Amino acid sequence: MRLLVNNLLEGNSRSKLEKFFFSIILLVLFKIIFPLVDATILVIINEILIFGSLTLAFLYFVEIQSSKSDNPISLTLNVGILSAVLFFITSLSSAIFDTIENIEEVNGIFYTFSSVIISQLFILSAVYILASFQTYYLMRQKRAKENYFNYLLIALLLASFSGTLSKLNPELQFVEKTFFIVSILLVVINSFRVSWIAFLTKKQKVFVLFISIIVSALFGLNFAFFSESNIIEQIVFNFSSGVRISYTLIMLYGNIYFGIVFFTTLFHLPTAGAFDQKSEEITSLIDLSKLMTQVLDFKELADSLTDATNKVCNSDSAWLVTMENEERNLISVNNIGYLEAQNITDELLSEFKMQLTEVLTLNKKLIKIKLKNDVRTYVFQAIIVAPLKVHEKTNGYLFAAKRQKYKFDQDEKKAVGAFADYAAIALENAKLFKESVEKERMENELEVARNIQSRILPSENPTNEQLEVDALFVPAFEVGGDYYDYFQLGNNKLGFVIADVSGKGVVASYIMAEVKGIFESLSRVIESPKELLIETNDILKKSLSKNSFVTALYGIIDIENGILNFARAGHMPLAICSKGKIKEYLPKGIGLGLDFGTIFSSNIDNMEIKLNNNDILMLYTDGVTESRNSLNEEFGFERLLNVVEANCDTELTNITRSIFEEVSLFSREQQQHDDITLVLFKWKNFKKSLEKLNG
Amino acid sequence: MADFNVSSRVDGDVNLIDVKGYLDAHTAPELENEFNKLIEKKQFKVVVNFSELNYISSAGLGVFMAYVETMREQSGDIKFSNLKDDVYSIFDLLGFPVLYEFYKEEKDAIKKFG
Repeated sequence: MRLLVNNLLEGNSRSKLEKFFFSIILLVLFKIIFPLVDATILVIINEILIFGSLTLAFLYFVEIQSSKSDNPISLTLNVGILSAVLFFITSLSSAIFDTIENIEEVNGIFYTFSSVIISQLFILSAVYILASFQTYYLMRQKRAKENYFNYLLIALLLASFSGTLSKLNPELQFVEKTFFIVSILLVVINSFRVSWIAFLTKKQKVFVLFISIIVSALFGLNFAFFSESNIIEQIVFNFSSGVRISYTLIMLYGNIYFGIVFFTTLFHLPTAGAFDQKSEEITSLIDLSKLMTQVLDFKELADSLTDATNKVCNSDSAWLVTMENEERNLISVNNIGYLEAQNITDELLSEFKMQLTEVLTLNKKLIKIKLKNDVRTYVFQAIIVAPLKVHEKTNGYLFAAKRQKYKFDQDEKKAVGAFADYAAIALENAKLFKESVEKERMENELEVARNIQSRILPSENPTNEQLEVDALFVPAFEVGGDYYDYFQLGNNKLGFVIADVSGKGVVASYIMAEVKGIFESLSRVIESPKELLIETNDILKKSLSKNSFVTALYGIIDIENGILNFARAGHMPLAICSKGKIKEYLPKGIGLGLDFGTIFSSNIDNMEIKLNNNDILMLYTDGVTESRNSLNEEFGFERLLNVVEANCDTELTNITRSIFEEVSLFSREQQQHDDITLVLFKWKNFKKSLEKLNG
Repeated sequence: MADFNVSSRVDGDVNLIDVKGYLDAHTAPELENEFNKLIEKKQFKVVVNFSELNYISSAGLGVFMAYVETMREQSGDIKFSNLKDDVYSIFDLLGFPVLYEFYKEEKDAIKKFG
């Protein structure tokens, strides 16, 4: 049984339709076999068959109408047209045909068919209307309150069945009356479910107002027709007395429901305009919040904002200005000239001296703005200025202005404030997005720079029995422009260079590459370090910009004799640790790129030093000495020299490691700002050892 | 990192720029701005007072290199005064004293413009 019920209730609309047609066929067969129904059992079977098919029809109609639950207007029109058709048929047929005497005895296949068709037409229309009422009932219903409608359906069924009973036994008429009255009560209760009216626009409300009064009247007439005897009523009553009662009640329902709809709409009409305004405000806020997540272009969003401001706040003009570093930018204008908006903004903001942190309404009196160098005077009734605030910082202003008649009210002021808040957030988002793009671009660039640098620097140190070489290079996050290199010059000589290009990143790394090229080639042709640096300076003239320079120190070590010859162009001094004592050597010489004429060439000297056995030579860049600790103190020359001095007689790699450790320890809490480069040489005097051996 | 601040004063036809704090790649544009303003006003005699400058990076040095030519072409100059020892040593290492005039006191620099 339960399975059967489930089977009947479920399924899609098509299967419901099939079930309904099947029940109709059963009904027609029944009516053909038993055209005259008077036995009690037959009457009951008749009623069960009819209401079974009606229930199926109801389920089908509910299914197809659920799609209309968002459109009360078309639903109302459907119901209205149907009631009009019913009215038309009833009134026409009652005008043409007289009532039939002794209808209970009328017989024949023609009558059977026509009575089934007419009755079905009427009752199905009524059921369709009932299904529509359920749709109305559920429309805009927030909480589960459909019980009353189900009670009504039950009461309707009971009233119909009791009508059948009272036909069989007139003494039971009071049962029919009772259920009839209960049904009417429930109809009235259900008829107050008209909250959907509130959500109509003003235009729709006016339309509903006219339609509802007509429909209500039609239902009333339909109800009235069935209250007295006429041919249709007779046919339906003879078909099934329960159907007649159901039909009557549904018509009454329509009459009451649309009556109430009429009055409700009537009372809603005066506030309809304000309601439209509110719903527009909500809709535009929803649209804007959607836009916020989708649109990264602030200009586009600003256009939507000014447009929404004008719509929601009934303003004539709206415009949006952003501020960045005291610089004002007019981003979007709506219904106002660009120049005009700009001038008014300047005028208003200068008047308030940027002290605008709250939404400000200029409502009190007529605003006349007379601009310099402009013959026109701008007249406004009211202006709202809302600051775009994020984290207590004002990033711009949203303006709304009314030219005619009305002032801004409190709600409109709030709305402008809300739009300004949206704009502030969107502006911040756009900024963050731009920053992240910029950051990514910079990181890519730095990657390129690091790549260039790692290719330019020597991949390994030269190895020689008499000259040990060790180097340390720690790149900064932003490539610093440090460069060092070695040049094998014949069998006995090693050229070396250490340089620091001013500036950072890609630009510095390109100059570094050029510097490498220059040293690579010049070291093979020029023997004097001084001349080489003068020549380098000359070549760099073409590629160095006015505000950039390169410091360099170039030298040559004669490995066999331990003679060092070097020149310095603005670079850190060279240090030599000899017999446990460290000393700095600082020949004069200005940085490459500071001057391209005689000042450079006349201010640079070579320096020659005779090395002793196990002397340690140190070259470094300012990244070492300028490393900072948390107190912002520099590592400095002294610390560096002390570390070297303390480790002077240890392995070369040990000295490098010690310096690195000391610097890292010193600056452990600070980010490394510049490249750190250190190159160390240790010269061994083989002759001396040989002499000792021989001696 | 740390702050930087630049302000300017006028003494006769000499413009004095006070630099404070840390002058590096991030703060150099502020100093450039100050020089641009002077050039706009056709003021080419400049003394930069370093008494409160704690550090200068290569980008900071570059600012002076970029503007000195313009100033000198208009028979002005950029002169430096009141440098702390460690700041001066940065200039010194690079060889700036060969190309620019450095003074212990601001008034000596102003006098030099005569």
